Amino acid sequence: MEKVTLTELYKQFFMLGVQLLGGGYVIVPLMKKSFIEDRDWLTEDELVNFYALGQCIPGIIAANVSAFTGYKLRGKRGAAVALAGIITSPVICILAIATVLDKLLQLSFIQSIFWSVNIAVVILLYLSVKEVWQKSMTGIFSWVIFIATLIASLIFKVSPAIIIVCSLIFGVSYKIFEKKRSER
Amino acid sequence: MKIYWFLFYEFFKIGLFSVGGGYATIPFLYQLIDEYGWYSAKQLSDMIAVSVLTPGPVGINMATFAGFQTAGIFAAIFATVSIILPTYFIVISVSKALKTFQDNFYVKASLDSLKPAGCGLLTVVGLRLLKNNVTDLWSVAILLGLFALSFKFKKNPLYYFLIAGFVGVFLHHFSLIEI
Repeated sequence: MEKVTLTELYKQFFMLGVQLLGGGYVIVPLMKKSFIEDRDWLTEDELVNFYALGQCIPGIIAANVSAFTGYKLRGKRGAAVALAGIITSPVICILAIATVLDKLLQLSFIQSIFWSVNIAVVILLYLSVKEVWQKSMTGIFSWVIFIATLIASLIFKVSPAIIIVCSLIFGVSYKIFEKKRSER
Repeated sequence: MKIYWFLFYEFFKIGLFSVGGGYATIPFLYQLIDEYGWYSAKQLSDMIAVSVLTPGPVGINMATFAGFQTAGIFAAIFATVSIILPTYFIVISVSKALKTFQDNFYVKASLDSLKPAGCGLLTVVGLRLLKNNVTDLWSVAILLGLFALSFKFKKNPLYYFLIAGFVGVFLHHFSLIEI
């Protein structure tokens, strides 16, 4: 395979950012089309693997997958260029909207759209919990963390970062304990 | 200048601690309301709506938007770069150990503990926005309608937003809601 130029890499990830609409997993079919079928940049296995890994590590999934792909093609620079590419169009687009949003929101017509779309935001959160629910809740262990999180966040307003770190410490030590016990 | 330091600190932290994609950043963005008051809960809800309806990864869109609400255009770019900076370092270190990473005991144990916490955090934001956004009979009706659709319908949130938008305009046109 010929070495991919950084300009070409940037261009393709820029285009990917333009096409992404409505949630991270859309990136898979898009990348399949332009990176596997149109270009020979990735294999099917690599894409599946990058997506799976992208969900495991912290951060925005689409950005993770882009960085993995960029790194595979051109190393550290490739990862940086892929990330720059994927954020370009969203940043421009959002800035364009954000600068006029306050004025738009003075129109009652626009307000009515936002009024009802904000109800759909509640459904969106419900759907995103539902999507990961089955994979997340695997037993009493996960229920303990889930309920502790609810109480800490809802009642005591503990910051998400502290909750994440505490569940990590509790969870991993419990798993180590469990492993040691089963080995005995 | 001080605000840029806070922006970097907060958004880098979000990039580092939000596990489970773009929506996982929402609880962190909500936390910033209480802590700094850079924007209101209503504005955050508007930001989520705009982020889903415009091209680009939702998490990136929201970082840009939140940064803009905080201190304008440069803050927006700064926040976006801060949120993806951890990604850069994490991906590079993980790429070196790709094959063994997913089967590693500690990686698995971490994920098993982080997922339920992520569910809990998102549930809490959902409840808070429910309290904020669903305030009268019409909004309850829309909520239940969308909820019913979710049993049969595609999971892409875009469709729900479009339907909700139309209903809002319709209700407004016939003066059934007061805005």
